[in-house]
Amino acid sequence: MLNYVWIALVVIGVLAAAGSDIYDASTNRYRNGQEFEVQYNSLSSNEGTISFTKEYFDRFYGTSIESSDTVSFPVVVAHDSANIILGEEAPGIWRTIAKTAGNERRLGATIRKRSGNHLFIILPITSLVRTKAVLDAIISYSSLAVTISLALIGVMAFWLGIMKLGEDSGLINIIARAMKPIMVRVFPDIPPDHPAIGAMIMNIAANMLGLNNAATPLGLKAMDELEKLNPNKGTASNAMITFLAINTGGLTIIPATAIAIRAALGSKDPTVILMTSFFGAGLATIAGVLAAKILQRLKIYRIESTPQTNKAEEK
Amino acid sequence: MIKEIAETLSILAIPLIILGFVVHATRKKVPVYESFVAGAKGGFEVAIKIIPYLVAMLVAIGIFRASGAMHILVSALSPIAHLIGMPPEVLPMAILRPLSGSGSLGLMTDIMKKYGPDSFIGILVSTMYGSSETTFYVIAVYFGAVNIYRTRHAVAAGLIADVVGMLGALLICRILLR
Repeated sequence: MLNYVWIALVVIGVLAAAGSDIYDASTNRYRNGQEFEVQYNSLSSNEGTISFTKEYFDRFYGTSIESSDTVSFPVVVAHDSANIILGEEAPGIWRTIAKTAGNERRLGATIRKRSGNHLFIILPITSLVRTKAVLDAIISYSSLAVTISLALIGVMAFWLGIMKLGEDSGLINIIARAMKPIMVRVFPDIPPDHPAIGAMIMNIAANMLGLNNAATPLGLKAMDELEKLNPNKGTASNAMITFLAINTGGLTIIPATAIAIRAALGSKDPTVILMTSFFGAGLATIAGVLAAKILQRLKIYRIESTPQTNKAEEK
Repeated sequence: MIKEIAETLSILAIPLIILGFVVHATRKKVPVYESFVAGAKGGFEVAIKIIPYLVAMLVAIGIFRASGAMHILVSALSPIAHLIGMPPEVLPMAILRPLSGSGSLGLMTDIMKKYGPDSFIGILVSTMYGSSETTFYVIAVYFGAVNIYRTRHAVAAGLIADVVGMLGALLICRILLR
């Protein structure tokens, strides 16, 4: 199924980008090459502000922007060019034009004509906006994947070291034995004294406490132990999928990130979501585990081949 | 009160775990330093192993997000959202949550800025954020670390958990706030 999700994301993404670019080109959404009239107020020899009415902008682009009746921006003017400095409140169309031209904050325009304190400016020609954004995303997300992985090396090494201490001293075994009654029900395929059980308990505990930095390394350690028991290399085992379902449920006692953002935005009661999100995540976790248990019986998801035939196929 | 206890606990947890592991190992006469280093050696290998899986997953999600296909999906799903009483403002959150952690964090912040953190929509959107994990990231990283590419029903189970989490968030917010 991951195959199809991957294909869908890529194909829908590329088609949607191309479709939206073709639509923009056919309606000339960015009004390429058309003169836009602004009022210019000079403050010094080359600096000043430009202003125009919301009504004129809306008519020009055939949209409706959220702004006051008169819009103005600081501008740096040379002989036949103007650099408009855009802020957060700038109209989306102009921000897109500036971003596609290279700098989201500075919109470089050509002055076509001057008449009194009025300027007639032409904005950079803008096309293939979405396709360019997709290209940028491919580069930046590839690097992001590497950044995330490399940032993991240190914490990963640390927690693997701590877990090794726990294994050598038998502490992981003690933890696993304490949770045995629950774990044998959820993971019937895993021997109750196997290190995988201890690692999974540590991961789930870290998730519950909101220790994200510890949860991933401990989870990967658990996956490594589960893989040792997996007879079909390259194929997920039932225990792995159940374990993953628990992780994707995201059960936490304190959803710290959401509370922090609520507090930062001036909420009167940032922790009101403690109970509600525990309920939501609790339901999600139960549903995930049940779904994993039920789906593993379906014919399409059953592992048909034994390890021996698998090896034969590879040869 | 519960919040303070829970917060203190989550700060103290890691030092206590480390202390417990080291003390227990010392009492069992385990060569602590040697054993730690032997375990830590695996860190580099695991991190490197997940790179191809993470690149594949994040690039696909990146293409999808940058293309604006989100809008299409939102308008396709809005009749269903209307049917179950989900405000249309939070529908993008329900779609983005399993795909992107940083994306859904930004979206939650934007929505709360616009409607206020204490409004129904504000509480609902932060509950939705807290009710689930970034399923596709977890799948890429966890399976990547052990070189598994045939994921069987993992995506289906993860997405069922996400849908139930989103519906659970909506249900509890409607019961408590309306």
